[in-house]
Amino acid sequence: MLLYINGGGIIMDIKQNKSQKINVTIDGKVCEATTDDTILRIARNNGIYIPTMCYLTKVEPIASCRMCVVEVEGIEGAILSCQSRTTDGAVINTKSKYIDKQRQNIMKLYNVNHPLECGVCDKSGECELQNKTLEFNVNAQSFTTKDMFRPVENWGFVSYDPALCIMCEKCVRVANEITGNEALQINTGGYKSRILNVKKDFNDSSLGESAAVCPVGALVSTNFKYTSKAWELDKIPATCAHCSSGCSLYYEVKNDKIYRVTNDFEFSSLCGAGRFGFDFANENVNKDTQAFTNAITAFKEADTIRFSAIITNEEALILQKFKEKYKYRLVCDEAYGYQTFLKAFGNVSGENLYNANLKSLSNSKGIIVLGSRINDDNPMVKYHITMASKRNSARVAYMHPIEDGNISNIVTQFIKYEVGSEEGVTALLANALLQNKELPGSLRDFLNDLDIGNISAESNVGEEELSMLMQSLDKKEGFTLVVGSDLYNHPRAVQIAKLIGAIQKYSDFDVLLVPPATNALGIALICTLDDEVGKYTIGYNAVGDFELSCLGNGDLDMPALNQQEGTLTTIDKRVAPTNVALSYNGYTLNDIANTLGLNAKYTIDYTSMLPSKSGFKVMDFDELPFNFDMVGVEHRGYLLSTKSIKNIDTFEEIDEIPTYDGAIIYRCNEANQFNMLTNRTKAFDQNEVCLKGSAQFANAAKVKDGDEISYVVDGIRYKRKFKLDSSLKGTIALHPNYDIRLSSALVSSYRFSHLTLEQ
Amino acid sequence: MAGVLFSTWRGEFIDNRNKVIDEWTPSAFALPENYTAHKASKAFIGWDGVALFDNDIDVVRLAKEYAAQYQVYSEACGRCAPGRWGGRILYDLLDKIARGEGSYNDIDHLKEVSETMMVTSKCEIGRTVPKPILDLMEHFNDVFSDLIDNHKPSKHYNAEVNYIAKVTAPCTDMCPAHVDIPAYIEGVRDLQFSDSLSATRQTMPLAHTCGRVCPHPCEDACRRANLDSPVSIMELKRLGADYETDHALPWQHPYDPKPLRNDGKKVAIIGAGPAGLTAAYYLALEGIKVDIFEELPVLGGEVAVGVPQYRMPIEKYNKDIELVTSMEAVTVYTNHRVDAVRLKEIEAEYDATLLAFGTRLSKKVGAENEKHDVEGYWGAISMLDKVNLWHKYRIGSPAEEDLKDKVVVCVGGGFTSMDVVRCSIREGAKKVIMLYRRDEKTIIGNTTYEEYHEAVEEGVEFIFHSAVERIYDENGKITKLLVNRFELVPDPNGGRAQLLKVEDGDFEIECDYLIPAVSQAADLQLLPSEWELAMTSWGTLLTNGKDYMTSREGLFAAGDCEYGPMTIVNAVGQAKRAASVMVRYLDTGKISLSNDEIMEDHLKALKVYDKKEKVSGWMPGIARKSSEKLGVDERKDNNKEVNLGFTGEEALREAERCMRCYYISMVAV
Repeated sequence: MLLYINGGGIIMDIKQNKSQKINVTIDGKVCEATTDDTILRIARNNGIYIPTMCYLTKVEPIASCRMCVVEVEGIEGAILSCQSRTTDGAVINTKSKYIDKQRQNIMKLYNVNHPLECGVCDKSGECELQNKTLEFNVNAQSFTTKDMFRPVENWGFVSYDPALCIMCEKCVRVANEITGNEALQINTGGYKSRILNVKKDFNDSSLGESAAVCPVGALVSTNFKYTSKAWELDKIPATCAHCSSGCSLYYEVKNDKIYRVTNDFEFSSLCGAGRFGFDFANENVNKDTQAFTNAITAFKEADTIRFSAIITNEEALILQKFKEKYKYRLVCDEAYGYQTFLKAFGNVSGENLYNANLKSLSNSKGIIVLGSRINDDNPMVKYHITMASKRNSARVAYMHPIEDGNISNIVTQFIKYEVGSEEGVTALLANALLQNKELPGSLRDFLNDLDIGNISAESNVGEEELSMLMQSLDKKEGFTLVVGSDLYNHPRAVQIAKLIGAIQKYSDFDVLLVPPATNALGIALICTLDDEVGKYTIGYNAVGDFELSCLGNGDLDMPALNQQEGTLTTIDKRVAPTNVALSYNGYTLNDIANTLGLNAKYTIDYTSMLPSKSGFKVMDFDELPFNFDMVGVEHRGYLLSTKSIKNIDTFEEIDEIPTYDGAIIYRCNEANQFNMLTNRTKAFDQNEVCLKGSAQFANAAKVKDGDEISYVVDGIRYKRKFKLDSSLKGTIALHPNYDIRLSSALVSSYRFSHLTLEQ
Repeated sequence: MAGVLFSTWRGEFIDNRNKVIDEWTPSAFALPENYTAHKASKAFIGWDGVALFDNDIDVVRLAKEYAAQYQVYSEACGRCAPGRWGGRILYDLLDKIARGEGSYNDIDHLKEVSETMMVTSKCEIGRTVPKPILDLMEHFNDVFSDLIDNHKPSKHYNAEVNYIAKVTAPCTDMCPAHVDIPAYIEGVRDLQFSDSLSATRQTMPLAHTCGRVCPHPCEDACRRANLDSPVSIMELKRLGADYETDHALPWQHPYDPKPLRNDGKKVAIIGAGPAGLTAAYYLALEGIKVDIFEELPVLGGEVAVGVPQYRMPIEKYNKDIELVTSMEAVTVYTNHRVDAVRLKEIEAEYDATLLAFGTRLSKKVGAENEKHDVEGYWGAISMLDKVNLWHKYRIGSPAEEDLKDKVVVCVGGGFTSMDVVRCSIREGAKKVIMLYRRDEKTIIGNTTYEEYHEAVEEGVEFIFHSAVERIYDENGKITKLLVNRFELVPDPNGGRAQLLKVEDGDFEIECDYLIPAVSQAADLQLLPSEWELAMTSWGTLLTNGKDYMTSREGLFAAGDCEYGPMTIVNAVGQAKRAASVMVRYLDTGKISLSNDEIMEDHLKALKVYDKKEKVSGWMPGIARKSSEKLGVDERKDNNKEVNLGFTGEEALREAERCMRCYYISMVAV
C-alpha cells in the first residue's frame, strides 16, 4: 500500500486548538467572548434572547429545531447560532424580518397535526410549543398532512405520547450524555419519527430526567399525569435529602401535598430517588406535650446523642452546642469514619477539604474510582463520570472487588482487587501516580520501601494493570480520583486517607471524597464526634434509649427534611438551603434546645453561627440565594472556603493484607435506595428486600435462591431472602440495609464482612 | 434518445426543446444520459438542477417523484423540523397538483416551505431538494398552470416509469470505499459512538486503520474547504472504533449478520490484507462461507507487516482483523502459500475466488550495477517485513542488529519510503538519507505534510532532485552511490517544466544500505499460465474496474494486485464492490451491478464535489482542529503511536464543522 497521489492538496492545518479571546457585536452590543463559545452562548451571556426549541444548556447542541438561526453581516444565508462558533469582529443580528419569517415557518411546521388537546395536556401552561406558537403569532394550522395512529406508551415511571412529540431529541441526549442509561433512541422515520425506549423491560427511574427536559407533553411522569395543572402548584426550593450530592430541586405543592419534584433542568439533573422519592414526610403530627416532657427528661438523663446524617447543619450545630454545654457524647456512625478520614487526609494534603467537585469531575479526561460501587452509592457522581466519558472520551478506571455491569458503558478499565486489600491498593496507586513527582523525603522513602511484588500478589492488582492505566492517561490532563465509602471505615482508613492526601497534594489528580450520607460532610465539619455510646442514649433518627424520629414511630416525632428549613453541606462543598415544603406542627430539635438553655427563635438562626474555622460563612439563612444564572452558574447558598492545615507527612508500613475467603457480603443499597427515607416513599416501596449474590456466592455460603436466611452484621440481625442474581460474579453478595428503619443509621464498619449464617 | 434536451445543472442553462438536433447546445457535464449501455435515461434530477433527455418526460411527476425520494431519505432521518415536516408538505402539495387537484395557493405554499427548507434545514439535502423542483416550476410554469387551470392529472401520472435515486455526499463520492462520512461524523456529534462505528462499517470494516493511516482523499472533496478548511474527516473515524475497543462492546455491525447459508456455496480469498479482509467481511455478513488463504504467519497484509507500529499500532489493527475473523462464516489459513497448482485446486473447489495478494515485490531503482544479492541492498518490503514482524509479533530478529550505527539511503518518495526512513531512525541508524527525484512539494503531495514534517524532525536528510546513477560494491557489499542531480527547468513555451540533469552536479554518498522504495510489483507466479489472464500494462490483473471480475469467469481481483500499489481505502472500496458482485454471482451465476452501484459510478463520473461552489449559511473561518502528536524526542527512539488522536472535546468541535452535505439525485428510466 503506498503512493496516494494527492490531487488537490490539503490546506495545511491552522493550528488553533487553543481558545482565543474575541469581540463580536450582537444586535449592536459589543460582546467579549472566546473562540470556544457558540453564538447562542455569547448572546445569552449578554442577556440577548434568541428563541430555541431544542436547545438544552446542559448537553451539547442538538441542532434539530433550527429556530436559533441568526444573520451575520457579510455572510450569505442564516447561521445556526446554537452550534456555530464565531470569528473575531463578527457582526451578528438575531432579529430581522427574514429570520422571523423562517422562525414562524418552523413553528407552522411544528404545528402540523399537533393535537389540539392543551386543555387536558399536563404541559399546558409550561409548554414550549404553546409559548412559541404565541410568540411567533401562528394562529392557525395552515399546513396539515394525513395523520397516523400513534398510541401512548407507558414505560413505568414515565409515559410517552408520540403524537405530542416534536422530536427535539432532548430526552435522548439526557439519557445518553447525562444519566447514561442509554435507554432512549431516535427512531428515524421522517414524518413517522419517534422516540424509542430500547430498555423497556428495565423500568429506569432516571428516565425522569428525560421527561423533565421534554418541552411538550410527550414525555411525562406517569404518576403525575392528569393530577394537577402546572400553574396551581407552588414551587418550594429545596435541597434533596437523600444523598450527599444535595441536588437542588423544587417540591411542587398544593393543599399541603407534594405532587411532584421539578428542578432547573436546563442546567442540573436529579436521580430517580430525588425525582420520584418525595413523599417521606412525617405527616399529621401535633404537639405531644407529654412526649416532649419525656424527651426533656431523657436528655437530662442521657450521656450520649446518637444521630443519623439526615439532619441539617443547624441541627448539627445545636447538637454540638449541647455537647459543649452538657458534655454529651455525639455519635454519628455514618459520619464518624468520614470525619476521621477527612482529618487524616488533611494532615497530608494540607487542606481541610478535597479539591474536586462534580463540575470538575465532569470536565476530567481521566478518572479513577476507588472504593465505591458508585452507580448505587451516588448516582450524581455517576452522571458526572458519564458526562466526562461521553464528552471528553475520558478514561475511567473502576477499582473495586466487584465488577458493575451497569456502568460498563463508561468504564474503560476495570481493576479488580481483593476485599480488604484497600491499603495496599491505595499504596500501589499512590506509587504509580506520584512517579516522577517531587516529594518530601519521608513519602519518597515510604514509596521506595514498598514491596510492590508482594502487595500486587496479595491485592491481585497486577503491575501491568497499573502501567496500562498510566499509559492510557499519558499526555492527557485533567484527572480526578473519586474515593468512596469502602475506605472510610476501613481498619487502615487513616493510612489510606494520608496516601490519598498525598495524591491530592503531589500528583496531577484532583480528589473527590464522596461523603457517605446526606449531610456527613456538614456533620464532619461541625461536630466533634465520639466513637462509642455511653450508658443512656438519645437517638435522633437513630436507635437509642429514647428515640426522636421523623419516621413517625419514635418516642418524640421530628420533622422530615422536607418539613424543615436549614442548610445541608453537599459533595460540592456547598452550604445549600432547603425550605419547608409540607407543614409540620410538632416539636423540633430547636424546641428541645430552647428548653435546655440554648436560645434561638428559629432553627435557622443558627445558620450564621456555623463554624467559620471549618470554612462556613457568617450569613443569615434568608440571605442565601437559590438560583442559576442565565448561563447555568449555580448560585445556591454558598461554597465553603478551604482552610489550610499544618501538613504532616508520616506514613506507616503497609499492614499485612487480611484474607477474606468464603462468602462475603458487601453493604450496598440498590439504586434509588439510600436510607430509611427513600424506603418510605411510594415510588420505591420495596416489599421484599433481598441479599443478592451469584451462583458462586450461593455455593460458598451454602444457600440457594429463595432461602430465608438470618445473619448478624454490626450487631444488627438481618432476616432476608437470598436471591440469585445472574449479573453478579464471584463470592461477594450485595447486602442492603435501607429497610431497617432507625437501625440503618448505625452502620459504622468496613463495608465488607464475612457472612456467618445463623441457624 | 441521446443528448441533453434541457439542463439547469450546476448553473448552466440549456434549452434545446425547440431546436433541431444539429443545433443542440451540449452540456458541459457528464450527465447520465444512458443509465446503462442498454438503457437510456429520460431525466436526471439532483441537488444542483435538472436535466431532461426525453421530450416526453412528465415534469410535474418528475418533481413529485423527486420529493417522494426525499421522503424516503427523510424516513432514514427526519432529524430537523424543516426537513421532517417540510419534505412531507412538499410531497403532498406536488402530488395534489399532479393529481389535478392543486391550486395556485398550493404553488405559493410550495415556494414558502421551499424557502424555509433551503435556509434552515440541517443537511444539505433539505437545503437542495427544493432547488430542481423550483427550477421545474419556473421553466415549465405552463405545464403546472395547465394542470391547475384544467383540473387534470399530469400526462404520465399513472404511467410505469422507473425512478432510481441515490443519496451521496461529495466526501462519500470521493472516498474509494464510499464511506457514509456524514453519518459517522454525526455519530460523533451526537456522542453516539456506536452509531458512528456502524455507519463506518456499512462500507469500511477497517475503522481503526482508516481512522489512522488513510490518506483521506475525502478531505480533498470536503465542501468545508470552500469556506475555510476541510473537516478532519479521517481522524473522526477513530472515535467510534476506540469506543468499541475501550468499552469492550460487542461488535457493532452495520446490520445483524445473516445466518450461514446452507447451500454449500463458498468463496476463497487469496490474501488477508485490507482487500481480502474487506471482501470476507461483507460476504460473511451475507451468510456466505469464506476461506482466506494467507502466505504470511500473520493476518493483515501490508498494513501489518509494512506500516510501522508508530503509525498503526497492531493492537488496534488486530481489532479490525478480529471483527472479520470473529464472523462465523470466515475461516483463515495462515502460512498457506498459494502457487499456481494450489490456485487451480482452489478455483475448482470454490464457487468464486478473489485474488487479493497485493504487490509485494520491491521494484528496482534502475541504477547501474544494481544487484539483488549484494549485501546492503535491501528491498523496502522485505526490510519493513523484518522490522514489523519483530516489533509487532516478535517473529525473527530485531532489524536494529542490521541497522544500528549504519548509513542508510532510501530511494523513494511515497508512504513506503517514509516508513523505511523513519523505521531506520528508530532502529538506530547513524545517518538516514532519502533520495527523491522531484521536489519537496511533490513528496508532500505524495504522502502528507505531517509525514514529511515528522520525518525531517526525526533527522531524516532529504535530498531532492536526485537519482542514483551507479551503485558501487566491494567484496559483495555496497560501499557508495553515485548520485545525479537534476533541476526543474521551466518550459519557455509555457509547457510542463522538465527535470534536467545538472552537468557537474554528480556527487557520491558512502553508505551501508541502499533501500529501494520506488514502487512495488505484483508477484504473478501464482497465476496458472494456461488461464491466460488479461493483465494491465503495469503487470496487474485486468478487470473493468466496476465488477472486478478478471478475464476468467468466477475469478475476481481487488486491491493492489488489481490496481497496482495504491491506498488501503482503495483496496477496501474495490473489495467491497467485488464482494457485492460475488454475492449476486453466487445467487444467479451472472455478473451484475446493483442500481446503487450504477448510480455510484454515474455520480463519480459527474463529480459530486464542486470546488467553485459558494457555500452559504455557515460561519466561515472556524479553525480545523488538529490532534496532538508526540514530540520528536518522545517518539524517535521508540514505536509509540505518534498521533494521539483527538480529545473528546476536539472531536466534538471538529464534528460540528461538518455541514452534512448529503445530496439526493434521481434518474428516470
